[in-house]
Amino acid sequence: MTNDDIRIGVFVCHCGTNIGGVLDVPSLADYARTLPNVTYSTDNLYTCSEVGLTDIKENIIEHKLNRVIVASCSPRTHEPLFRSICQEAGINPYLFEMVNIRDQDSWVHMKEPEKGTAKAKDLIRMSVYKAALLEPLERVKVAITHSAVVIGGGIAGMTVALNLGNQGFKISLIEKESELGGLLKSLNKLFPSNEDASNLLENIEIIESHDNINIYKSSIIEKVSGFVGNYKVIIKQNKKTIDLDAGVIIVATGAIPLSPEGYFGYDKKNIISQLDLEGLLKNDQVKANNITMILCVGCRNEERRYCSNICCMSAIKNAMLIAEKNPNAHITILFRDIQAPGTVYENYYRKAREMGILFISYLPEKPPVIKKDIVHVYSDLLNQDIRIPQDLVVLSTPLIANEDSEVLAKMLKVPLEENNFFLEAHVKLRPVDFATDGVYVCGSAHWPADIAESTSQANAAASRASIILWKDYLEVEGSTAEVKTELCIGCEACIRICPYNAITKDEETDTAIVNKVMCKGCGLCGASCPKNAIIIHHFTSDQIRAEIFTYGGEI
Amino acid sequence: MVIGAGIAGIQASLDLAERGIKVELVEKNACIGGRMAQLDKTFPTNDCSICILAPKLAECSRHPNITLHVLAEVQSVDGSAGNFAVKVLKHARYVKEDKCINCGLCVEKCPMRVEDDFDMQLRKRRAIYIDYVQGVPAIMSIDKDKCLWFTKSACRICEKVCEREAIDFEQTDKEIELNIASIIVATGYDVFDPTPISYLGYGRLPNVVTSLEFERLISASGPVGGHLTRPFDQKEPENLAFINCVGSRDVKNNPYCSSCCCMYTTKEAMIAYEHNNNIQTTIFYIDLRAGGKGFRDYIQRGCDDYAITYIKAKVAKILQDEQKNPIVFYEDTDTFEVKQPKFDLVVLATSMVPKKDAVRLSEILSINVDESNFFKSMTYHPQKSSKEGIFLCGTCRAPMDIPNSVVDASGAAAKAAEIVMRV
Amino acid sequence: MGFLCNWCSYAGADLAGVSRIQYPTNIRIIRVMCSGRVDPTFVADAFLHGIDGVLVLGCHLGDCHYITGNYEAEIKMNTLSRLLGIVKFSDRMRLDWVSAAEGNRFAQIVSDFTKHIQELGPSPIKESKNKTQIIDDLEAVKSVLESARLRGLTARQRDLVTEKNVYGNQITAEKFENLLNDAINNEFIRHKIVIKIKEIGKSVPDIANEIGIKAKEVLEHIVVLRSRGLVDVQEINEEIPTFISIQEGKH
Repeated sequence: MTNDDIRIGVFVCHCGTNIGGVLDVPSLADYARTLPNVTYSTDNLYTCSEVGLTDIKENIIEHKLNRVIVASCSPRTHEPLFRSICQEAGINPYLFEMVNIRDQDSWVHMKEPEKGTAKAKDLIRMSVYKAALLEPLERVKVAITHSAVVIGGGIAGMTVALNLGNQGFKISLIEKESELGGLLKSLNKLFPSNEDASNLLENIEIIESHDNINIYKSSIIEKVSGFVGNYKVIIKQNKKTIDLDAGVIIVATGAIPLSPEGYFGYDKKNIISQLDLEGLLKNDQVKANNITMILCVGCRNEERRYCSNICCMSAIKNAMLIAEKNPNAHITILFRDIQAPGTVYENYYRKAREMGILFISYLPEKPPVIKKDIVHVYSDLLNQDIRIPQDLVVLSTPLIANEDSEVLAKMLKVPLEENNFFLEAHVKLRPVDFATDGVYVCGSAHWPADIAESTSQANAAASRASIILWKDYLEVEGSTAEVKTELCIGCEACIRICPYNAITKDEETDTAIVNKVMCKGCGLCGASCPKNAIIIHHFTSDQIRAEIFTYGGEI
Repeated sequence: MVIGAGIAGIQASLDLAERGIKVELVEKNACIGGRMAQLDKTFPTNDCSICILAPKLAECSRHPNITLHVLAEVQSVDGSAGNFAVKVLKHARYVKEDKCINCGLCVEKCPMRVEDDFDMQLRKRRAIYIDYVQGVPAIMSIDKDKCLWFTKSACRICEKVCEREAIDFEQTDKEIELNIASIIVATGYDVFDPTPISYLGYGRLPNVVTSLEFERLISASGPVGGHLTRPFDQKEPENLAFINCVGSRDVKNNPYCSSCCCMYTTKEAMIAYEHNNNIQTTIFYIDLRAGGKGFRDYIQRGCDDYAITYIKAKVAKILQDEQKNPIVFYEDTDTFEVKQPKFDLVVLATSMVPKKDAVRLSEILSINVDESNFFKSMTYHPQKSSKEGIFLCGTCRAPMDIPNSVVDASGAAAKAAEIVMRV
Repeated sequence: MGFLCNWCSYAGADLAGVSRIQYPTNIRIIRVMCSGRVDPTFVADAFLHGIDGVLVLGCHLGDCHYITGNYEAEIKMNTLSRLLGIVKFSDRMRLDWVSAAEGNRFAQIVSDFTKHIQELGPSPIKESKNKTQIIDDLEAVKSVLESARLRGLTARQRDLVTEKNVYGNQITAEKFENLLNDAINNEFIRHKIVIKIKEIGKSVPDIANEIGIKAKEVLEHIVVLRSRGLVDVQEINEEIPTFISIQEGKH
């Protein structure tokens, strides 16, 4: 076990009386000295203080130490500090180990000091045996392409492009249709300001003339390869293939309103969708006097259990516009729950009621029925059937995911949730990131969102993307996985199990290869490889076994 | 500069710091973390709040680009976008920040007992304290108004027992001036005090509590260690009622919708059920607002698996019986009868309201507030305030949940970055 | 021995410390980044080195810092548990979930588990009576856990059951269970046989006697082991062959 090349220094901390008041710290330092490969051992009052840190540095140099162990508090709080001290003294930061003899020993065994000290001895010994097997690891530097590809030119895509372009990054904005604007182009007015949707399209001029933004209209994504900082995106514009390089990719492909085909006798004449209504209102073609709007058509049911968030406000907006234009109109909205969260929308909803628009709630088990020019609905509040005369019925349907979401998701290797909206890395911590580094999502592609929310998410995605783009290079943790290609049989178990898609198959050798940039060092692959062909650096099987064996002893 | 270090302020600071931009993070309390640190679990995943917050707290305090100013308040702002001169008052904490190691000896010995705001006054802390156990920075501070030395020139026991000589009664408040390109406001919210809604009985009836008080009761780190008991008689409640829209959607109090209550009352009921499978919950609501991703399914799980019944009704009044069990009066819309079920504990889902000093801060920053005193943002540019260079995020501009606050915060960071890049 | 994941259970243990919650001194903790890192062979190794009980603690399901790590840990520990069950060690191992905010829960789990192990008594591997038998058993378990077949199955379990394979087939959870059980039971016996005939060659009836299964079954296993190149005929005595393990190379 003893190897002259390994010179371990052990620094045991008193932490005032936190450790020293319970465990016999000097005896721990003495004990450490007896262990194989330990060149130097001492105890400190406060290892993390200026004095303690200097002591470590001086002793590293004096005793030519090449591995350092600090037995004190938790690595979760103090490992970065001690690692940087090691680095300052010329030792690779991955040749440092911490032993937790405070939070997980002296503080929890206050009434059993002898047993606590014995435990500390075991823990220090385990660490010494592991430290002997530690290897220096490099933090890999990866070059970055300082540009972004934004997929989708609706309100979200345009907002991202503009923000990043303003920050000085080059943007390729890819749009499927022949013009930018997305759903905004089909809208008449916007809630809650009731201004023209075209007002927001004014940005298009700024974007089209922006120095940093290149727009590719009538283009779709053909192929995506690479990884964060180094993506290659191939697009097809009409018949032409264009290669684009990017450091990050942002998905802003939006969503589409469900067509109410098959619901309530939708005929586009008497029974129309809210989207149809937008078009009619734009051209001032609404002449009806008795309008009934039915919300939650095609959602909040078995097939689609979700609520689409924005349809209530859309319907209320259109109802208010009609009422303004035609004060004699009778407008009834049949709803299940009105979504009007926040400070502004609730007022908007109140205003609609003050204008005389009638809101009647209906139960999903007793949906409204349209018989000729009467809408029959059972009101659960009034406990009776109601007959509403109609000369126009408007159906509010949810936003649903684009048909090409699946294809795009596969290309980008990002997940979809069950309704085919893109699935972010973490609902709360990383709502616009994907688990795969360097890819982001915003707007209705993520979940049905109104303009304000789409804009917020777009700005958020821009912020997250800029964190990568502004750097000269990416530096990644050294404690990553590595495949021993000579042992790999190409079964791809590791490729499937990696939560970050960090492992791919080398086409030539048919073996797995870990992308160090994307690897997070979780170790799932190493624990799973049928051939034990993967090393999890800094938590290798040999290191862990050394800890187990020295604790258990020989039988 | 980021004013406020709750989840929104922290997220904005981290984004900017990672972006290479220096951040002065100003926080009024001694610890960062804000409201999220007070929560037990968060919807829609019901994961532990402090677990997902703690890594961000640690990163914030460690990041070389973030300078943390705690116990600090903005006093004045002059100048314009790209070039603000901001004066910040840093209150003394009377503890040396480089000496204190948060060992807790002083807290053990301090003789004063003070109502703990973090625990919604359900517990007492000491005059020397840390906001909460996992608080960052992990340094004690002395509450000047409650400390015996400052009020009666006596005691100083903490100084005597501290092995690091970290107590320093000589510290004074300091004012610093900072040159700032762009400001992000993330000052968060306060909780509506439902006492004025007298028919709900809060303040009179001991077994009527607010949702944040309930949150502390079910928290593993809270005053009863997560074993839900009534604060009044320590009985374990099995029949819970939640009343939504207390103080919100209410023209007499706050006309707006507080956005999260439908979801968080479901969450609180779920957590209570996990601790005690005998618990049955009734949630009284007007509209069930669950439009976010996965939110509808969450509500459905509440119905199916967690013994929650949703009743669409406005509660008329709450009385109590001899054992102080609350009795809730409401109209059953199926039968038109007035029902008066008895519960063991009633939780009022109180509205988010702007912080008490929001108006004062708006004057210092020269930004507008809306009719409810939330900082007013532009309709289709929600991170923009009425003043160029000053951005808003999180609940200080409108009630919102955590996912939206995080998005907002990153969004504000992007807008602030634009200003910084121009300079 | 405890294997604790950095993000949740290790943090929970730290919190128990910060809160000064006391618990028994019998546990030594090894920190890993994710509970999914814990190779089941580590646990077998622990038992082979006389450790009395092993705790593996990860984040609550759904909360894993690495998204799916604890699901994989659950699958691995499931396979491990079944194998340990064959050699009557499964109640000396426990998998559980502790969040970073559950200092109390961590201490409770350690206390409960310690008491449980104390009731079971020290590991039987430390008594000299059955020592060789138990070492052989655990070595067989470890061998199975190192084998490509079991590792491959457990590594692919989640995606085989939830997604289709390249032919568009999906395997039901029930069918997979049967497959896994079959593999576990058969492989254990096979690896036990390999160990039994490592030093000295033995005949099929002798092996059947020692292990306690029918000679017909032993023969079937020997055939498979031969085809894998793990055993071979040593010599033939009066028409009864003896078999011995092939020493070099690993399967």
